[in-house]
Amino acid sequence: MASPCELLCETADAALARRLADFASAEALRIEHKFSRYRDDGVVQAMLAARGRPFEADEETSRLLDFGAALWSLSEGRFDLTSGVLRHAWRFGSSAATGAPAPAPEPRQLAALLARIGWQRVRWQRPMLLLPEGMEIDFGGIGKEYAVDRVADWCAQQSGAPVLVNFGGDLRCVGALPAGGCWRVGIESVQQSGTAARHVELRSGALATSGDARRHVEIDGRRVGHLLDARTGWPAPGTPRSVTVAAATCSQAGSYSTLAMLQGERAEAFLEAEGVRYWCLR
Amino acid sequence: MQLNTSLGAALAAATCGLLGALPAAPARADEASPWQFDTALLYWGEGDGRVQDLSVTAAVRRALDEDRSFSLAATVDTLTGASPSGAVPSAGVQTFTRPSGKGSYQIAAGDAPLDDSFKDTRVALSAAWRQSLGDSMRWEAGASASHEYDYQHLGVNARLERDFNLRNTTVQLGAAYGKEDLKPVGGAPIGLAAMLGTGDARNKLGSESKDVFDVLLGVTQVLTRRSVLEVAYSYGKSDGYLTDPYKLLSVVDPVSGAPVAGPAGSGRNLYRFEKRPDSRTKQSLYAEWRHAFDRDSFALSYRLMDDDWGVRSNTVDARYRWNRTANDYIEPHLRWYQQGAADFYRTALFSNAALPAFASADARLADSDAYTVGLKYGRRLSSGEFSMRLEYYRQTAKASPGAAVGALAGYDLVPPLSAVLVQFGYKFSL
Repeated sequence: MASPCELLCETADAALARRLADFASAEALRIEHKFSRYRDDGVVQAMLAARGRPFEADEETSRLLDFGAALWSLSEGRFDLTSGVLRHAWRFGSSAATGAPAPAPEPRQLAALLARIGWQRVRWQRPMLLLPEGMEIDFGGIGKEYAVDRVADWCAQQSGAPVLVNFGGDLRCVGALPAGGCWRVGIESVQQSGTAARHVELRSGALATSGDARRHVEIDGRRVGHLLDARTGWPAPGTPRSVTVAAATCSQAGSYSTLAMLQGERAEAFLEAEGVRYWCLR
Repeated sequence: MQLNTSLGAALAAATCGLLGALPAAPARADEASPWQFDTALLYWGEGDGRVQDLSVTAAVRRALDEDRSFSLAATVDTLTGASPSGAVPSAGVQTFTRPSGKGSYQIAAGDAPLDDSFKDTRVALSAAWRQSLGDSMRWEAGASASHEYDYQHLGVNARLERDFNLRNTTVQLGAAYGKEDLKPVGGAPIGLAAMLGTGDARNKLGSESKDVFDVLLGVTQVLTRRSVLEVAYSYGKSDGYLTDPYKLLSVVDPVSGAPVAGPAGSGRNLYRFEKRPDSRTKQSLYAEWRHAFDRDSFALSYRLMDDDWGVRSNTVDARYRWNRTANDYIEPHLRWYQQGAADFYRTALFSNAALPAFASADARLADSDAYTVGLKYGRRLSSGEFSMRLEYYRQTAKASPGAAVGALAGYDLVPPLSAVLVQFGYKFSL
């Protein structure tokens, strides 16, 4: 998942705690293994290997493709499972690791990449996927939240014990309330990494955060977040530094935060209109 | 509240398709307030018309971020009622000059002399700043002030805490300094001077002050997953005017126990103002063990205090917290206290004996035992946490050896004290 993952459980039953932790780690690794674009034996590479010929997706992959298709339509094309190729133009690094500002993308290179993006050009009819040659599918925008929900749902079936599943800041709680009455979750400060700007008391549901705290580039002294509008290849103008949204599931919370980031200046207005609980840091 | 927008509904449907089902419960997430309030109303009422105290406290804590916070607290309390003057009962009516020197009061034959001059309002303020220094160190600095019509206090304090051993061990070092100014009504009496008649202030001086310095060294150690032990040593030194300006001693005949006549023209029996040494050094050792069961928890503590006035005390305190449900608890409380008398404690002075260097008949310096039995109920509400505490306190003290001579043998020279404490507390954040 390329980020620290944890499972918190309040129980006196050590065997249960071990079972939940074992499942969480196995499931996270399984999903990462299966859907990562960096692995040769995963679904993403298998789709590429089809080279424009029909690819038959398994049930789980089909569900993720359906979900990605829904987000594409709900975001009016801003979110696109095929936009992963933009990474060739943008070099987002860790803010701490790269001291020097990264260069803006080359316009010609960006135009060439945009030609390889567009869900409307993909033919997806369960279970068959027809991906034009040169295009790629990237589950990066939805995979982590999906993994959190999978683990959380499974834990909820195992016991009523209070459990918090936290994969790199995208998290969901299930079961009874913990002894403190709630899960206290810090929203990382955008000024000072590692410190909390705000604290959210979570009693039910999920929180997901999209932001540039860890991945961004600087262009002309301005921070540019890593969440790119698939239609332009650029982040939406006026993107907040971080958007955290609460929803019943992590997949919904993550979708809201991603869609809000893609609204740029209108992020808050969008979230207000949706009536969700959110925290925007600018 | 999540609206049923078309996007929201479509997203919910898509998520249902992804996960197979959606949880029944909606999200519940609220931003934690950086402002935390803690308020309490406390009543302390002693039996037999003695001291009644009503106090209101409000404290607020503001977290600036994870590492820094400041807090402010204010307390206002009003004290009424009478407290023992230190004089002993007698077969005749006793007349005392009020501390102000401007009036007098009488105590009926056989009654314990209580001085009802006390009506006081105290205002106390404190402020503290708390900050982390990296992951394993914290410091705190504070200041306090309080004001009564005859007493002022100004203090500063600081504390440093450091975690070791994967946060299983915490060491704390604290220090506090306080300066207290007393402007007793009618002036501070000259130690062991005789009470004079109304309007005669030859036995009084002006105001007095004292300095109080305390240091503390403590270690908190996690023993097991469920147990924590805290041990602390503290040293305190007070210098200056440590006498209670309103306390007296009766001077009695060593055989009959009857009061002897006071200074000519005073119209009083002989009563002397108390006098304590002008320095006091205290040391105490404290240990507290806290243990958590699956549902409940308890705390047991012991304190040994020893000072150079000869007072040595032992305190045992136990609380058991019964978590009835996830939202409420009942906490029984037991406390036992025992102390030995100060070297200069005298229930009364004898007329044939030379004046000692120091003497006090204050029951708080007598050989005594006290216990507290209490019950607290707490309940978590959606808006905050409410608690209610009811306690009963009883103290019995012994007269100094050989004090019950003659007629005094027929009286309860150091009457027992019973008191009731009622407290309502409410904690909330905004």
